[in-house]
Amino acid sequence: MYELARGPLMWAATVIFLAGIVYRSIQLYLLTGKKERVLYTATPVKPKDRTPEERKMDFIIAFRHSLLGTHPIMAIISTVFHTFIFIIPIFLLGHNLLIYESWGISLFSLPDGLCDTLTAIFVLIGLFFLLRRLIVPQVRIISTAYDYLVLAITVAPFLTGFFAYHQWFDYKTVIIIHMLVGELMLITIPFTKIGHMVFFFFVRILIGSEHSFWRGSRTW
Amino acid sequence: MPAGQRKPVDTKKIKALLDQHKGKIQVSLAACASCSLCAESCFLYMGNNRDPHYMPSYKWISSLGTIYRKRGNVDSTFLEKTQDRIWKNCVLCMRCYCPFGIDIPGLIALARGMYRSQGFYGMYPYTAGAPEACGSYTTDESSTQEPGTAGAGTGK
Ligand code: SF4
Ligand code: SF4
Repeated sequence: MYELARGPLMWAATVIFLAGIVYRSIQLYLLTGKKERVLYTATPVKPKDRTPEERKMDFIIAFRHSLLGTHPIMAIISTVFHTFIFIIPIFLLGHNLLIYESWGISLFSLPDGLCDTLTAIFVLIGLFFLLRRLIVPQVRIISTAYDYLVLAITVAPFLTGFFAYHQWFDYKTVIIIHMLVGELMLITIPFTKIGHMVFFFFVRILIGSEHSFWRGSRTW
Repeated sequence: MPAGQRKPVDTKKIKALLDQHKGKIQVSLAACASCSLCAESCFLYMGNNRDPHYMPSYKWISSLGTIYRKRGNVDSTFLEKTQDRIWKNCVLCMRCYCPFGIDIPGLIALARGMYRSQGFYGMYPYTAGAPEACGSYTTDESSTQEPGTAGAGTGK
Protein backbone atom coordinates (compact mmCIF):
# COMPACT_ATOMS: atom_id res chain seq x y z
CA MET A 1 0.00 0.00 0.00
CA TYR A 2 2.84 2.35 0.89
CA GLU A 3 4.53 1.78 -2.45
CA LEU A 4 1.23 2.18 -4.26
CA ALA A 5 0.46 5.47 -2.53
CA ARG A 6 3.97 6.76 -3.03
CA GLY A 7 4.31 5.75 -6.64
CA PRO A 8 1.39 5.36 -9.06
CA LEU A 9 -1.23 7.09 -6.93
CA MET A 10 0.99 10.12 -6.46
CA TRP A 11 1.56 10.31 -10.18
CA ALA A 12 -2.12 9.91 -10.89
CA ALA A 13 -3.00 12.63 -8.39
CA THR A 14 -0.46 15.04 -9.85
CA VAL A 15 -1.62 14.43 -13.39
CA ILE A 16 -5.29 14.80 -12.45
CA PHE A 17 -4.46 17.96 -10.52
CA LEU A 18 -2.63 19.61 -13.40
CA ALA A 19 -4.92 18.34 -16.14
CA GLY A 20 -7.95 19.26 -14.01
CA ILE A 21 -6.78 22.83 -13.63
CA VAL A 22 -6.16 23.14 -17.35
CA TYR A 23 -9.52 21.54 -18.15
CA ARG A 24 -11.49 23.71 -15.74
CA SER A 25 -9.68 26.83 -16.90
CA ILE A 26 -10.52 26.14 -20.52
CA GLN A 27 -14.09 25.21 -19.61
CA LEU A 28 -14.69 28.42 -17.67
CA TYR A 29 -12.92 30.45 -20.32
CA LEU A 30 -15.16 29.09 -23.05
CA LEU A 31 -18.26 29.56 -20.93
CA THR A 32 -17.61 33.24 -20.48
CA GLY A 33 -16.90 34.10 -24.07
CA LYS A 34 -19.94 36.28 -24.42
CA LYS A 35 -19.49 39.93 -23.63
CA GLU A 36 -21.60 41.00 -20.71
CA ARG A 37 -23.06 44.34 -20.11
CA VAL A 38 -21.35 46.15 -17.29
CA LEU A 39 -23.98 48.18 -15.56
CA TYR A 40 -21.67 50.36 -13.65
CA THR A 41 -17.93 50.63 -13.49
CA ALA A 42 -16.06 51.98 -10.56
CA THR A 43 -14.50 55.21 -11.68
CA PRO A 44 -11.47 55.85 -9.55
CA VAL A 45 -11.05 59.54 -9.00
CA LYS A 46 -7.49 60.36 -9.93
CA PRO A 47 -6.32 62.73 -7.26
CA LYS A 48 -4.84 65.81 -8.88
CA ASP A 49 -2.96 68.47 -6.99
CA ARG A 50 -3.44 66.67 -3.72
CA THR A 51 -1.54 68.05 -0.79
CA PRO A 52 0.50 65.54 1.23
CA GLU A 53 -2.15 65.63 3.97
CA GLU A 54 -4.90 64.89 1.49
CA ARG A 55 -2.88 62.06 0.05
CA LYS A 56 -2.48 60.67 3.51
CA MET A 57 -6.22 60.90 4.06
CA ASP A 58 -6.86 59.21 0.71
CA PHE A 59 -4.63 56.38 1.77
CA ILE A 60 -6.26 56.05 5.18
CA ILE A 61 -9.74 56.00 3.67
CA ALA A 62 -8.72 53.46 1.05
CA PHE A 63 -7.09 51.34 3.74
CA ARG A 64 -10.10 51.45 6.03
CA HIS A 65 -12.27 50.21 3.19
CA SER A 66 -9.89 47.41 2.35
CA LEU A 67 -10.25 43.93 3.77
CA LEU A 68 -7.37 44.62 6.11
CA GLY A 69 -9.22 47.63 7.44
CA THR A 70 -12.65 46.03 7.79
CA HIS A 71 -11.67 42.51 8.84
CA PRO A 72 -8.11 42.81 10.14
CA ILE A 73 -8.12 39.55 12.09
CA MET A 74 -9.63 37.49 9.28
CA ALA A 75 -7.33 39.11 6.74
CA ILE A 76 -4.21 38.23 8.71
CA ILE A 77 -5.33 34.73 9.71
CA SER A 78 -6.45 33.95 6.20
CA THR A 79 -3.20 35.20 4.68
CA VAL A 80 -1.18 33.07 7.09
CA PHE A 81 -3.33 30.03 6.30
CA HIS A 82 -2.99 30.45 2.56
CA THR A 83 0.75 31.07 2.76
CA PHE A 84 1.35 28.05 4.94
CA ILE A 85 -0.66 25.78 2.68
CA PHE A 86 2.04 26.33 0.04
CA ILE A 87 5.23 26.63 2.02
CA ILE A 88 4.74 23.74 4.43
CA PRO A 89 4.40 20.93 1.87
CA ILE A 90 6.90 22.41 -0.58
CA PHE A 91 9.70 23.16 1.86
CA LEU A 92 9.24 20.25 4.23
CA LEU A 93 12.45 18.28 4.69
CA GLY A 94 10.67 14.92 4.59
CA HIS A 95 9.02 15.72 1.26
CA ASN A 96 12.26 16.98 -0.21
CA LEU A 97 14.06 13.81 0.87
CA LEU A 98 11.48 11.77 -1.04
CA ILE A 99 12.02 13.91 -4.12
CA TYR A 100 15.77 13.55 -3.68
CA GLU A 101 15.48 9.78 -3.41
CA SER A 102 13.45 9.67 -6.61
CA TRP A 103 15.13 12.23 -8.81
CA GLY A 104 18.33 13.22 -7.10
CA ILE A 105 17.26 16.84 -6.87
CA SER A 106 15.93 18.74 -3.92
CA LEU A 107 14.52 22.11 -3.02
CA PHE A 108 15.56 24.27 -0.15
CA SER A 109 14.13 22.87 3.07
CA LEU A 110 12.95 24.51 6.25
CA PRO A 111 14.12 23.10 9.59
CA ASP A 112 11.86 20.33 10.84
CA GLY A 113 11.09 22.06 14.11
CA LEU A 114 9.89 25.17 12.31
CA CYS A 115 7.71 23.15 9.95
CA ASP A 116 6.24 21.39 12.94
CA THR A 117 5.24 24.69 14.52
CA LEU A 118 3.86 26.03 11.23
CA THR A 119 1.79 22.87 10.81
CA ALA A 120 0.40 23.19 14.32
CA ILE A 121 -0.56 26.80 13.57
CA PHE A 122 -2.13 25.72 10.28
CA VAL A 123 -4.26 23.06 11.95
CA LEU A 124 -5.32 25.50 14.66
CA ILE A 125 -6.41 28.00 12.01
CA GLY A 126 -8.35 25.18 10.35
CA LEU A 127 -10.08 24.62 13.67
CA PHE A 128 -10.76 28.34 13.92
CA PHE A 129 -12.38 28.27 10.47
CA LEU A 130 -14.48 25.29 11.50
CA LEU A 131 -15.70 26.99 14.69
CA ARG A 132 -16.34 30.20 12.79
CA ARG A 133 -18.44 28.29 10.27
CA LEU A 134 -20.39 26.63 13.05
CA ILE A 135 -20.89 29.60 15.32
CA VAL A 136 -20.90 32.89 13.41
CA PRO A 137 -24.44 33.29 12.00
CA GLN A 138 -23.53 34.94 8.71
CA VAL A 139 -21.03 32.19 7.90
CA ARG A 140 -23.26 29.42 9.13
CA ILE A 141 -26.18 30.44 6.98
CA ILE A 142 -24.20 29.95 3.76
CA SER A 143 -22.32 26.85 4.93
CA THR A 144 -23.37 23.51 3.57
CA ALA A 145 -22.00 20.03 4.20
CA TYR A 146 -19.86 20.66 1.15
CA ASP A 147 -18.07 23.57 2.81
CA TYR A 148 -17.25 21.45 5.84
CA LEU A 149 -16.04 18.63 3.63
CA VAL A 150 -13.78 20.96 1.69
CA LEU A 151 -12.30 22.27 4.93
CA ALA A 152 -11.73 18.72 6.16
CA ILE A 153 -10.01 17.73 2.91
CA THR A 154 -7.75 20.76 3.22
CA VAL A 155 -6.73 20.24 6.81
CA ALA A 156 -6.52 16.43 6.85
CA PRO A 157 -3.12 16.14 5.08
CA PHE A 158 -1.61 18.57 7.55
CA LEU A 159 -3.14 16.92 10.60
CA THR A 160 -2.03 13.45 9.54
CA GLY A 161 1.40 14.80 8.65
CA PHE A 162 1.64 16.23 12.13
CA PHE A 163 0.68 12.86 13.62
CA ALA A 164 3.20 11.09 11.42
CA TYR A 165 6.03 13.44 12.38
CA HIS A 166 5.36 12.87 16.06
CA GLN A 167 4.89 9.16 15.43
CA TRP A 168 1.55 9.18 17.19
CA PHE A 169 -0.58 6.12 16.57
CA ASP A 170 0.75 3.47 14.23
CA TYR A 171 3.28 5.31 12.08
CA LYS A 172 2.93 3.08 9.04
CA THR A 173 -0.86 3.45 8.92
CA VAL A 174 -0.76 7.18 9.59
CA ILE A 175 1.78 7.84 6.85
CA ILE A 176 -0.29 5.89 4.33
CA ILE A 177 -3.42 7.82 5.32
CA HIS A 178 -1.36 11.00 5.07
CA MET A 179 -0.34 10.21 1.52
CA LEU A 180 -3.85 9.22 0.51
CA VAL A 181 -5.53 12.34 1.88
CA GLY A 182 -2.77 14.47 0.37
CA GLU A 183 -3.48 12.92 -3.00
CA LEU A 184 -7.21 13.34 -2.44
CA MET A 185 -6.65 17.03 -1.83
CA LEU A 186 -4.66 17.41 -5.05
CA ILE A 187 -7.36 15.63 -7.04
CA THR A 188 -10.20 17.65 -5.58
CA ILE A 189 -8.61 21.08 -6.03
CA PRO A 190 -9.70 21.65 -9.64
CA PHE A 191 -13.20 20.27 -9.17
CA THR A 192 -14.30 21.73 -5.85
CA LYS A 193 -14.34 25.04 -4.06
CA ILE A 194 -10.69 24.54 -3.15
CA GLY A 195 -10.28 25.55 -6.77
CA HIS A 196 -10.61 29.15 -5.65
CA MET A 197 -6.85 28.78 -5.59
CA VAL A 198 -7.12 29.22 -9.36
CA PHE A 199 -10.60 30.66 -9.85
CA PHE A 200 -9.69 33.53 -7.58
CA PHE A 201 -7.93 35.06 -10.54
CA PHE A 202 -10.78 34.25 -12.90
CA VAL A 203 -13.66 36.18 -11.47
CA ARG A 204 -12.30 39.61 -12.13
CA ILE A 205 -10.96 38.70 -15.54
CA LEU A 206 -13.78 36.65 -17.01
CA ILE A 207 -16.82 38.32 -15.55
CA GLY A 208 -17.90 41.82 -16.37
CA SER A 209 -18.65 43.71 -13.21
CA GLU A 210 -17.78 46.78 -11.27
CA HIS A 211 -14.74 45.11 -9.79
CA SER A 212 -13.44 43.41 -12.90
CA PHE A 213 -10.24 44.17 -14.72
CA TRP A 214 -10.40 45.33 -18.30
CA ARG A 215 -14.15 45.66 -17.74
CA GLY A 216 -14.38 41.91 -17.58
CA SER A 217 -15.58 39.45 -20.13
CA ARG A 218 -12.33 39.56 -22.00
CA THR A 219 -13.01 42.67 -23.97
CA TRP A 220 -9.35 43.52 -24.37
CA MET B 1 -48.07 40.01 -5.48
CA PRO B 2 -51.34 38.49 -4.37
CA ALA B 3 -50.84 35.03 -3.06
CA GLY B 4 -53.34 33.12 -5.08
CA GLN B 5 -53.09 30.23 -7.42
CA ARG B 6 -49.85 30.40 -9.21
CA LYS B 7 -49.17 29.40 -12.71
CA PRO B 8 -46.87 26.42 -12.86
CA VAL B 9 -43.25 27.40 -13.25
CA ASP B 10 -42.05 27.61 -16.81
CA THR B 11 -38.79 25.78 -16.28
CA LYS B 12 -37.92 26.16 -19.95
CA LYS B 13 -37.68 29.90 -19.52
CA ILE B 14 -35.60 29.52 -16.37
CA LYS B 15 -33.30 27.06 -18.07
CA ALA B 16 -32.84 29.40 -21.01
CA LEU B 17 -31.85 32.20 -18.65
CA LEU B 18 -29.51 29.89 -16.75
CA ASP B 19 -27.91 28.86 -20.01
CA GLN B 20 -27.52 32.42 -21.13
CA HIS B 21 -25.61 33.35 -17.98
CA LYS B 22 -24.04 30.00 -17.26
CA GLY B 23 -20.50 31.32 -17.32
CA LYS B 24 -21.09 34.06 -14.81
CA ILE B 25 -23.01 31.82 -12.42
CA GLN B 26 -20.61 28.94 -12.65
CA VAL B 27 -17.45 31.01 -12.21
CA SER B 28 -19.02 32.79 -9.25
CA LEU B 29 -20.18 29.57 -7.61
CA ALA B 30 -16.78 27.98 -8.20
CA ALA B 31 -14.93 30.89 -6.66
CA CYS B 32 -17.16 31.75 -3.70
CA ALA B 33 -15.45 30.32 -0.65
CA SER B 34 -18.47 30.93 1.60
CA CYS B 35 -16.25 33.15 3.70
CA SER B 36 -18.94 35.75 4.50
CA LEU B 37 -16.48 38.61 4.26
CA CYS B 38 -19.01 40.43 2.07
CA ALA B 39 -21.46 40.65 4.98
CA GLU B 40 -20.42 43.94 6.55
CA SER B 41 -20.29 45.75 3.23
CA CYS B 42 -24.10 45.59 2.92
CA PHE B 43 -25.85 48.39 4.75
CA LEU B 44 -29.09 46.41 4.94
CA TYR B 45 -27.25 43.63 6.73
CA MET B 46 -25.70 46.12 9.15
CA GLY B 47 -28.96 48.01 9.54
CA ASN B 48 -30.94 44.89 10.40
CA ASN B 49 -28.94 43.81 13.41
CA ARG B 50 -26.67 41.68 11.28
CA ASP B 51 -29.52 39.40 10.35
CA PRO B 52 -27.76 36.72 8.28
CA HIS B 53 -30.67 36.69 5.81
CA TYR B 54 -29.33 40.00 4.57
CA MET B 55 -25.87 38.60 3.88
CA PRO B 56 -25.06 39.50 0.26
CA SER B 57 -23.83 36.06 -0.77
CA TYR B 58 -26.74 34.35 1.00
CA LYS B 59 -29.17 36.34 -1.10
CA TRP B 60 -27.85 35.10 -4.41
CA ILE B 61 -26.60 31.65 -3.43
CA SER B 62 -29.86 30.64 -1.78
CA SER B 63 -31.91 31.86 -4.73
CA LEU B 64 -30.06 31.87 -8.05
CA GLY B 65 -27.37 29.47 -6.78
CA THR B 66 -29.95 26.91 -5.70
CA ILE B 67 -31.87 27.23 -8.96
CA TYR B 68 -28.64 26.69 -10.87
CA ARG B 69 -27.71 23.63 -8.83
CA LYS B 70 -31.17 22.20 -9.42
CA ARG B 71 -30.73 22.95 -13.11
CA GLY B 72 -33.80 25.12 -13.12
CA ASN B 73 -36.12 22.46 -11.75
CA VAL B 74 -37.82 24.50 -9.08
CA ASP B 75 -41.47 24.98 -8.28
CA SER B 76 -43.45 28.07 -7.46
CA THR B 77 -43.34 27.25 -3.75
CA PHE B 78 -39.59 27.59 -3.87
CA LEU B 79 -39.76 30.86 -5.79
CA GLU B 80 -42.39 32.21 -3.45
CA LYS B 81 -40.42 31.22 -0.40
CA THR B 82 -37.18 32.75 -1.61
CA GLN B 83 -38.38 35.83 -3.50
CA ASP B 84 -37.93 38.20 -0.57
CA ARG B 85 -34.23 37.48 -0.51
CA ILE B 86 -33.71 39.17 -3.84
CA TRP B 87 -36.57 41.64 -3.91
CA LYS B 88 -36.96 42.82 -0.37
CA ASN B 89 -33.59 42.16 1.24
CA CYS B 90 -31.54 43.91 -1.41
CA VAL B 91 -31.89 47.31 -3.07
CA LEU B 92 -29.18 46.72 -5.69
CA CYS B 93 -27.14 49.62 -4.41
CA MET B 94 -23.96 47.86 -5.54
CA ARG B 95 -22.04 48.61 -2.40
CA CYS B 96 -21.30 45.03 -1.44
CA TYR B 97 -17.75 43.99 -1.91
CA CYS B 98 -16.35 40.52 -2.24
CA PRO B 99 -12.59 40.01 -2.00
CA PHE B 100 -12.83 37.70 -4.99
CA GLY B 101 -14.60 40.36 -6.97
CA ILE B 102 -17.76 38.30 -7.31
CA ASP B 103 -20.43 40.50 -8.85
CA ILE B 104 -23.01 40.01 -6.13
CA PRO B 105 -25.45 42.75 -7.25
CA GLY B 106 -25.17 41.50 -10.81
CA LEU B 107 -26.12 38.01 -9.69
CA ILE B 108 -29.01 39.30 -7.60
CA ALA B 109 -30.20 41.33 -10.58
CA LEU B 110 -29.96 38.19 -12.67
CA ALA B 111 -32.03 36.33 -10.09
CA ARG B 112 -34.60 39.09 -10.21
CA GLY B 113 -34.94 38.68 -13.94
CA MET B 114 -35.48 34.99 -13.46
CA TYR B 115 -38.12 35.45 -10.76
CA ARG B 116 -39.78 38.15 -12.80
CA SER B 117 -40.03 35.80 -15.75
CA GLN B 118 -42.21 33.61 -13.54
CA GLY B 119 -44.37 36.41 -12.24
CA PHE B 120 -42.58 36.99 -8.96
CA TYR B 121 -42.11 40.72 -8.83
CA GLY B 122 -40.89 42.89 -6.11
CA MET B 123 -43.61 45.31 -5.15
CA TYR B 124 -44.22 48.36 -3.13
CA PRO B 125 -44.05 49.00 -0.36
CA TYR B 126 -41.39 46.52 0.31
CA THR B 127 -38.89 47.80 -2.10
CA ALA B 128 -39.41 51.08 -0.34
CA GLY B 129 -38.13 49.64 2.89
CA ALA B 130 -40.82 47.40 4.31
CA PRO B 131 -42.61 49.58 6.83
CA GLU B 132 -44.33 47.91 9.74
CA ALA B 133 -47.65 48.21 7.93
CA CYS B 134 -46.33 45.65 5.53
CA GLY B 135 -46.19 43.00 8.21
CA SER B 136 -47.72 40.32 6.07
CA TYR B 137 -44.56 40.25 4.05
CA THR B 138 -42.31 38.38 6.35
CA THR B 139 -38.69 37.66 5.76
CA ASP B 140 -38.07 34.05 4.98
CA GLU B 141 -38.64 32.87 8.50
CA SER B 142 -39.63 29.44 7.35
CA SER B 143 -36.08 28.81 6.19
CA THR B 144 -34.43 30.36 9.19
CA GLN B 145 -31.43 28.39 10.28
CA GLU B 146 -30.48 30.62 13.14
CA PRO B 147 -32.96 30.69 15.96
CA GLY B 148 -33.59 34.16 17.23
CA THR B 149 -32.72 36.01 14.07
CA ALA B 150 -36.00 35.66 12.27
CA GLY B 151 -38.09 38.74 12.05
CA ALA B 152 -35.18 41.08 12.43
CA GLY B 153 -36.00 42.20 8.93
CA THR B 154 -39.13 43.94 10.07
CA GLY B 155 -36.91 46.61 11.48
CA LYS B 156 -37.19 45.66 15.12
S1 SF4 C 1 -19.46 36.32 -2.21
FE1 SF4 C 1 -17.28 36.67 -1.84
S2 SF4 C 1 -17.12 37.57 0.21
FE2 SF4 C 1 -19.18 36.69 -0.01
S3 SF4 C 1 -19.01 34.62 0.85
FE3 SF4 C 1 -18.61 34.42 -1.36
S4 SF4 C 1 -16.38 34.62 -1.58
FE4 SF4 C 1 -16.89 35.35 0.47
S1 SF4 D 1 -26.54 45.57 -3.67
FE1 SF4 D 1 -27.90 44.48 -2.26
S2 SF4 D 1 -26.55 43.01 -1.22
FE2 SF4 D 1 -25.24 44.54 -2.18
S3 SF4 D 1 -24.88 46.09 -0.56
FE3 SF4 D 1 -26.66 46.78 -1.78
S4 SF4 D 1 -28.45 45.98 -0.68
FE4 SF4 D 1 -26.65 44.85 0.07
